[in-house]
Amino acid sequence: MSPNPDTSGALAPVGVAPAATLHGRLLQVSRMATIGEMAAGVAHELNQPLTAIANYAQACGRLLGRADTDPAELRHALAEITLQAARAAEIIRRLRALARSQQSARSAVSINALIRELIELVEGDARLHGVQLSLALADDLPEVLVDAAQIQHVILNFVRNSLEALAARPSGSGRVHIGSGLSPLGEVEVAVSDNGPGPTAEAMSRLFDPFFSTKESGTGMGLAISNTIARLHGGSVGYRPSRPEGACFYILLPPQSGA
Amino acid sequence: MQEPAPTIYVVDDDEGVRNSLRFLLKSVGLTARTLASAREFLDSYRPRQPGCMVLDVRMPGMSGLELQQQLNLRGAIIPVIFITGHGDIPMAVEAMQHGAFDFLQKPFRDQDLIDRIQRALERDARSRAALAQHDRIRERFDTLTPREHEVLSLMTRGKPNKVMAAELGVSQRTVEIHRARVMEKTGAASLAQLVRMAMDLESSPARP
Repeated sequence: MSPNPDTSGALAPVGVAPAATLHGRLLQVSRMATIGEMAAGVAHELNQPLTAIANYAQACGRLLGRADTDPAELRHALAEITLQAARAAEIIRRLRALARSQQSARSAVSINALIRELIELVEGDARLHGVQLSLALADDLPEVLVDAAQIQHVILNFVRNSLEALAARPSGSGRVHIGSGLSPLGEVEVAVSDNGPGPTAEAMSRLFDPFFSTKESGTGMGLAISNTIARLHGGSVGYRPSRPEGACFYILLPPQSGA
Repeated sequence: MQEPAPTIYVVDDDEGVRNSLRFLLKSVGLTARTLASAREFLDSYRPRQPGCMVLDVRMPGMSGLELQQQLNLRGAIIPVIFITGHGDIPMAVEAMQHGAFDFLQKPFRDQDLIDRIQRALERDARSRAALAQHDRIRERFDTLTPREHEVLSLMTRGKPNKVMAAELGVSQRTVEIHRARVMEKTGAASLAQLVRMAMDLESSPARP
C-alpha cells in the first residue's frame, strides 16, 4: 500500500542533506559494499541447489516421455528435488539471519573480546606485511553497549591504515600495537598505534573528512565512517602522535554502566 | 577397431549438482562417472577411455582451470565442457582460450548440455580416429630399413631416380627396388599419398 499522495501541492524538502544524514548515508554505503560482496557469494551458493533441481526436473520430463520408465526412478528424483529445495531455503534462512544481524543490534560486550576476535583476522595480514603485532588489554574494563560488527569495523580500519602506513619501512621493523584501557574521563578506549611516518601536517587537519585520502587507492571513507560509527555510539574517534614515533588512532566509547 | 562406450566425466565439488547431472545423463542413455575433485579425477582418469568432461570452473583445492592446465600439460585430448556460476564469465573466457570445448552457465537447459556433450563426443571420436590412423602409419614406417628411410626422404622431396642414385651412390635399378619396398611397406597407393602420410607423422598430434 502506498501512502496517500500529497494533494496540497507542497514539495517535500529535497537536496540539502545535513552532515549527520550524509554520514548516515556513508555508513550505509560501507554496509552495502559488504552486503554486495556477500550477495555474490550467496548467489553462487544458491545456484547449486537450483541447478540440481533443474537437472532432476528436466530428467523427469524426459523419463515421463518414455514407456519403460520405472516409477522408482521418478520418486528418487522427486525426493532429491525436495532435498535440494530445502537446502536452498536453508541458505535463504541463513541470509535473513545475517541481514538481521547487520541491522544495528547492540549488546553489552567486553571490548577485549571484540579485539581478540579481530586479532585472528588481522594476524595473517600483519604477517604478510612483515609487521609485528602486539596487544595490551586492560583487565576489569566495564562492558560497552555496542554493535559489535561496527566497532570491529572501526578497529580493523585503524589496523589496516597502520599496516599501509608501514609499507615503506623495511620488512620486519614495522610494529602495530593494539591497546585497551580507560580514559581519564572513564570512557573505554581502544588505541591502535604504529611506528610509521604518521600523517603530514597537511593531512592532520582533514583526517576525518569524507573523501580525503593520502593513499592512491584510498576512498577517503575509512576514518569518516569510523567517526560516524563512534558518534552513533555516543563516543568519538581521535588521533594523537605515538611515542617515540608514529601515529595512534583511538576510539572512545561510553561504559555501559554509565549509560 | 571396437571402441568402448564413451564416459562423461562429471567433476564438481557439489554433491547435489554432481548426482543430478548423472541422473540427467542417464535419462538420455549416457554413462556418467562423477568425481568430487580435480585430484580424484586425475587419479582415476584413463587416457584410452573415450569420452568428454563436464567440469566445474570453481572448486576448492585444484580449480577447474588448473585441472585443464594439468590435462593440457599431459597432452590429453579429452574435450572439456565447463559449467560456471553467474559471476564466472572471465574464468570461462580464460578456459576457452586454453582450448576448452565449450562452457555453460548454471543452471542450464538440459538440451543445451546434451547437445554440447554429443558434439564433444563426436570430436573426441574424430581425435581418437586420427590418433589411431597416426599410430598405424607410424607402425608401418617403423618397418623401413635405414636405407629405405633415406630413399623415402628423397622421394618425398620429389627427387627423380637418377638423382637419388647419384646421391646414394647406387644404381638406378637398386633405387627402383628400394622405392618399390617403401611403397609396399607403407601401403601407399601413390607418391602423393606417401607424402601425405609422411606429413601426418611429422605433425604428430597430441598423445592422450
